[in-house]
Amino acid sequence: MFEGLRALVEGLLTTGKEMVSKPVTYQYPEIKKPVPPRFRGRHELKRHANGLEKCIGCSLCAAACPADAIYVLPAANSDQERYSPGERYAARYEINLLRCIFCGFCEEACPTGAIVLEHDYELAYYDRRSAIITKTQLLVAPPQGEQGTPRDMPDPGNLYAAIPPIKGGVEPVNIVEMAQTQV
Amino acid sequence: MPKVTIDGKIIDVPAGTLIVEAAKPVGSHIPVFCYHPKMAPAGMCRMCLVQVGMPKMDPATKQPVVDENGQPVINWMPKLQTGCTTVVSEGMVVHTTTPQVAEARRSILEFLLTSHPLDCPVCDKGGECPLQDHTLHYGPGNTRFYVESKFHNDKAVPLSPLIMLDRERCIQCGRCVRFQDEIAGEPSLGLADRGRGLEVTTFDDPPFNSNFSGNTIDICPVGALTSRDFRFTARVFELNDYPSVCQQCAVGCNVYLGTRDNLIRRVTPRQNEAVNEVWLCDKGRLEHHYAHSPERVTTPMIRAESDLTPVSWYEALNFVANRIRPTLGESGKSMAGLAGDRLANEDLYLFQKLFREILGSNNLDHRFGWSQWNAGDALVKNFGAGVGTNLGELGKGVTALLLGADPQTEQPVLRLRLSKITRQGATLVVANGRATKLAQYASHKTIYRYGAEAYFVLGLVRAMIDAGLHKSDKANGATEYSAALNLTVAECAAKAEVSADTLKTIGETFAASENGIILFGREFMYAMQRDPAVEAALNALLILSGHFGRKNNGVIALYPRSNSMGALDMGMTPTDGGMPASEMLTKAKLLYVMGADPARENPAFKNPGFMIVQDLFMTATAQKADVVFPASAWAERDGTFTNTERRVQYFARALEPLGQARPDWAIIQELAQQLGAKWTYASAGDVMNEIAQRIPTYAKMTHARLQVNARRRASVQTVGGDAAEPVQMALGELIGVVSGAQWATFSETNADAKFDVKFVQPADSAQATAGVYLAVTRALLDCGALAQYSEIIQTRVPDASVEINSHDAEAWEIANGARVRITFESKPPRALELPARVDGSVPPGVVAVANNLDGTMNLPMGAQVQVTQVQVSQAIAD
Repeated sequence: MFEGLRALVEGLLTTGKEMVSKPVTYQYPEIKKPVPPRFRGRHELKRHANGLEKCIGCSLCAAACPADAIYVLPAANSDQERYSPGERYAARYEINLLRCIFCGFCEEACPTGAIVLEHDYELAYYDRRSAIITKTQLLVAPPQGEQGTPRDMPDPGNLYAAIPPIKGGVEPVNIVEMAQTQV
Repeated sequence: MPKVTIDGKIIDVPAGTLIVEAAKPVGSHIPVFCYHPKMAPAGMCRMCLVQVGMPKMDPATKQPVVDENGQPVINWMPKLQTGCTTVVSEGMVVHTTTPQVAEARRSILEFLLTSHPLDCPVCDKGGECPLQDHTLHYGPGNTRFYVESKFHNDKAVPLSPLIMLDRERCIQCGRCVRFQDEIAGEPSLGLADRGRGLEVTTFDDPPFNSNFSGNTIDICPVGALTSRDFRFTARVFELNDYPSVCQQCAVGCNVYLGTRDNLIRRVTPRQNEAVNEVWLCDKGRLEHHYAHSPERVTTPMIRAESDLTPVSWYEALNFVANRIRPTLGESGKSMAGLAGDRLANEDLYLFQKLFREILGSNNLDHRFGWSQWNAGDALVKNFGAGVGTNLGELGKGVTALLLGADPQTEQPVLRLRLSKITRQGATLVVANGRATKLAQYASHKTIYRYGAEAYFVLGLVRAMIDAGLHKSDKANGATEYSAALNLTVAECAAKAEVSADTLKTIGETFAASENGIILFGREFMYAMQRDPAVEAALNALLILSGHFGRKNNGVIALYPRSNSMGALDMGMTPTDGGMPASEMLTKAKLLYVMGADPARENPAFKNPGFMIVQDLFMTATAQKADVVFPASAWAERDGTFTNTERRVQYFARALEPLGQARPDWAIIQELAQQLGAKWTYASAGDVMNEIAQRIPTYAKMTHARLQVNARRRASVQTVGGDAAEPVQMALGELIGVVSGAQWATFSETNADAKFDVKFVQPADSAQATAGVYLAVTRALLDCGALAQYSEIIQTRVPDASVEINSHDAEAWEIANGARVRITFESKPPRALELPARVDGSVPPGVVAVANNLDGTMNLPMGAQVQVTQVQVSQAIAD
């Protein structure tokens, strides 16, 4: 009988302890926890400081995507209707989030750093079609005080080339050696 | 055959072989940029540097010096040699992988990349770029230059409506310039300036106006020349490339249809050494746009009261079947079928089967409009060029006789192939009633009088007999023929208005040559139809010269359309008293028109009682039809075409059909089933299997056999793996790729057969009297039934003009560029008003007009015309 009583007290003690301790759960969605900085959530298409789109419609993200979740349809920029530096921009950019496995290969493949897996993880939809997100949903707002795209811009200044030169350059990397050491 | 050692492997190669070529069979890869196997070496890029050594020779004995191990002592050349310009010689030793060579390649690539923008992500060449591939395989791997410090130049400079030039990306290999000079023979490009500033420019106005300009895109080893048609529509690794065959002319160039999102994004040549090598003309490259034109007919329609209304397939087929069924018994007389010769063999075969076996009618034809000028099919059946003949490889011992043809505008890629054969040692004779582009490459060229073709050929026969060069072992009645041929060479020459010496030389050269090929074109076929003596004379020339029944011997008829040859083979001709097209158009009570537009192309067309039209578009004929069936475009189904050299070629399905469109053969089958036939063809391949059984010349020609080397190319290539096929093709790394199969002619399958030769007296044509002869020519880029849907073609369609000889122009007081009126007898009466072009390409007494340009449709070849200058005031008033 004492055995049973002891077990009961012990059990209630645990319950009592938990009653007063701080809970590990929280009231989602009222409370949202911050995610780690390198969290891979929903994609965003970034812009340059002057508001031009970083995406140049090169489809390398689509080529790198193991789930075939990305569709890019490029088109040509003109001085009167400029979306991005250089000659080419993405006229359509769609990601099927039901296919996406959030591996981040698109980020790695991107030559301009345009696509970034950001921190939005609320990816539930009422139907499959709305899980395909379009360029308007992906593209971030232009920086404060800058115009959006397209815009009349005959001289994009520093951003004259599709892949703008990095100020001061970068340390040269030997890609062949890199590939060999990685294998 | 010099014996050379390449990377330790010994190989025998023919004398004169370049090191880059000798290295291919042993598997040593020598990277190149400027070198292309179809062009003369230039040695401009230095990418192919290799280490070359020669055996040390003993001056006294002239024998190689041998070391103590018995191996020849090698004298290494002090510096690396270019593999693309160095010819191999006996005992030569080549190293392609030494550190010295690797260092040279690294340096060359680094040098090229100093002024290359590295905008591969936005470059349309990216993914099939030799510079990318070579950099990955042989490049330095790092850069000592920042993008900012690189050389910059103009980007996106439109060179022509088709071609975009990026000056920054150019590596100055000069391939485009050399292609235009050497291969196309249209030197429209040049290199201007020097050093870093060197740039490709065009001399033409309108700029870069060449029929072959698109090939410079394919052979450009970087993204300097890119297609404006394909520009930024897909990355090359996103394309699915389906093997197909161009359906714009009878050459049947092999192509890849690069598709993405069920649209053809680009058309590129597919290598076939026996047909188009690696080339394609601009028309073939651009004309695919019609396949996804919004103007396509996508639903079946029947005429309810006065309008065509869309209905279901079931209703439309039922409507037709109900209309035909009661007349099935006696339909043979009143029912007629007209099919276009752009359709596949499978369609044409089932079409004639429907008429012959179910409707009981022999009223079948495909010769109307432009195609009405095809003739000489009996010659082709008996004496077609032997199996294995490759026009591009004709060399020593072959005489090719080109009669009444202008391949430059009608079979462009054939022109490319024929223009090089004189360089290879063959004799090319070009004879026509006017000057053509190919004449500038000819060994002998002559302009005969239109209408005297029979005399021209008889003159050749006479010259051959006079020289005793004729062979009578396969001829019946050779002696009688020789006696009956009561004309001397001089008489023939006088009638044909050519020099007797030329005629004699050509006749004797052709007869004495080991191999002889006769190609005759549209203008000659027209003469054949006018006067049976022309065909008889050509028949005699062939039989008595003995040039048939073997490889590199026989005739090739240059037919007007992609499957004219197939239409003849499939039996799309009226037999046993059937009506030919000319009669059909006025007499048929029920007309079934498949892929043809007689209302547009033949003014004599009369609306029959009931008309079924099966087509892609609402053509002039379809608008008058009672039933319209929407057919699939050629890219939406598979099938076979037979080209002008009798080569049967397979084309794959690349697209989903638009709307409710169905393949032509499937529509015919469903109609036949409605009429009670028990046809059960599951696919076009199934129909082809039956063709292979029923038509003896097509025996064993199944799709499976024709698909060899005509496979779909996967869209994804392994990074760093073997170069993608277009790169290999552009670099000329694929050797001897051939697909398709030629059918054997009667003289090949019956080696002992003898043929009758009969002399037919040429009719003295009316042209002998005074009068101006209207020669009808063709422009390559036109506003034709399919070309009108390509915007780039439309920007390049030339304005119609009339070519007049300078003597005539002087006599008629017509200045170059003046507007002239051309009147001729026709029903209804017609007159043309065109600007004159006085450029000496036509002889006196002849005017030439292209009949496929704005306002010049349906001109009667050979009509007698009056040419008058339009008064200036009158022209303004008009």
